[in-house]
Amino acid sequence: MKKRILKWGLILLVSGIIIGGAVIYFMFNQPHRNIQAATVDYKLEASALVKEFLTDATKANNKYLDEEGESKIIAISGTVASISEDLNNQKVLFLKTETDKAGVSCTFTTETNMNTENFKVGDQASIKGVIRSGAGYDEDLELYEDVILEKCNIIQN
Amino acid sequence: MKKLLFTIAISGILAITSAFTLPTVSKLVTKAGHINFFSHTAVEDISANNYKVVSTLDTATGEVVYSVPMQGFEFEKALMQKHYNSKKFLDTKTFPKAKFKGQITNLEAINFEADGTYNATITGEMNLHGITKAITETATITVSGNKITVETKVNLTLVDYKVAFKGGKPSTNIAKTIEVTSKSEYTKEG
Repeated sequence: MKKRILKWGLILLVSGIIIGGAVIYFMFNQPHRNIQAATVDYKLEASALVKEFLTDATKANNKYLDEEGESKIIAISGTVASISEDLNNQKVLFLKTETDKAGVSCTFTTETNMNTENFKVGDQASIKGVIRSGAGYDEDLELYEDVILEKCNIIQN
Repeated sequence: MKKLLFTIAISGILAITSAFTLPTVSKLVTKAGHINFFSHTAVEDISANNYKVVSTLDTATGEVVYSVPMQGFEFEKALMQKHYNSKKFLDTKTFPKAKFKGQITNLEAINFEADGTYNATITGEMNLHGITKAITETATITVSGNKITVETKVNLTLVDYKVAFKGGKPSTNIAKTIEVTSKSEYTKEG
């Protein structure tokens, strides 16, 4: 009888350790959020998003930014004002309406860079990405900073 | 009368010359930047990269400004990235940008018109996690044709910016002082 309890106790203990260890291991090694597979939180025009930040930055930050960095996923559309590459060799499509003070900078990934190939300045583009920071005037830079989206891809119609 | 005419003529010439020389842009802007931070402890090395820094360099006055979107730092591990962004660490929702504004102190030693590599010292103020502190960075400035590359290095003590962890894993796995390096590429006009 005593032996039996001891045996089951041991089994429970060992499986507990294994399960607990596995949970910790998977939490520690949890993958990054797959932005392109996730659902879109907001769908809007580049111009409208910029306007929200320029009107009330605090309100817009509260709406779009997440405490743990898992900020809103946005589907943005607008006119391509420039196409460039950052120091990480990722393509950057910059959406901006000529009359706006700031625009939306969209950085692509190694997997999605090639989808920007057919775009040229002046084209309309719809892009999905995660927001990293909002737009606003910086008095030290003496310029308007743009909304920054990363992990972007083109939304195919 | 002659003297007056002379004065008017001279000031006229001066006005025209300055009108033509003033528009020369000395403040360069770039969105091509990279910031890395590195933390070393016996337990583990942690590194994060951000390629979304916006910066300006005024070649006439030596003023430099860096604006960093804090949520743009990418970590190898998703959990580390979440911790870093959270209220316990850098609270990036409340403080979405970090900023450094400084001045090259040995501007006379740098010739932005001649190709070469120059060592510079930049002193200024770092605003991080809502706290502003005076810091001094060492920098290497490389001029090559119409391209100017500025690379900087500075050690930041986290406790100075009220990024402190009481107990738990982070207190043993994150260094008290982290090394922050940056690289920005500017293109000269004309």
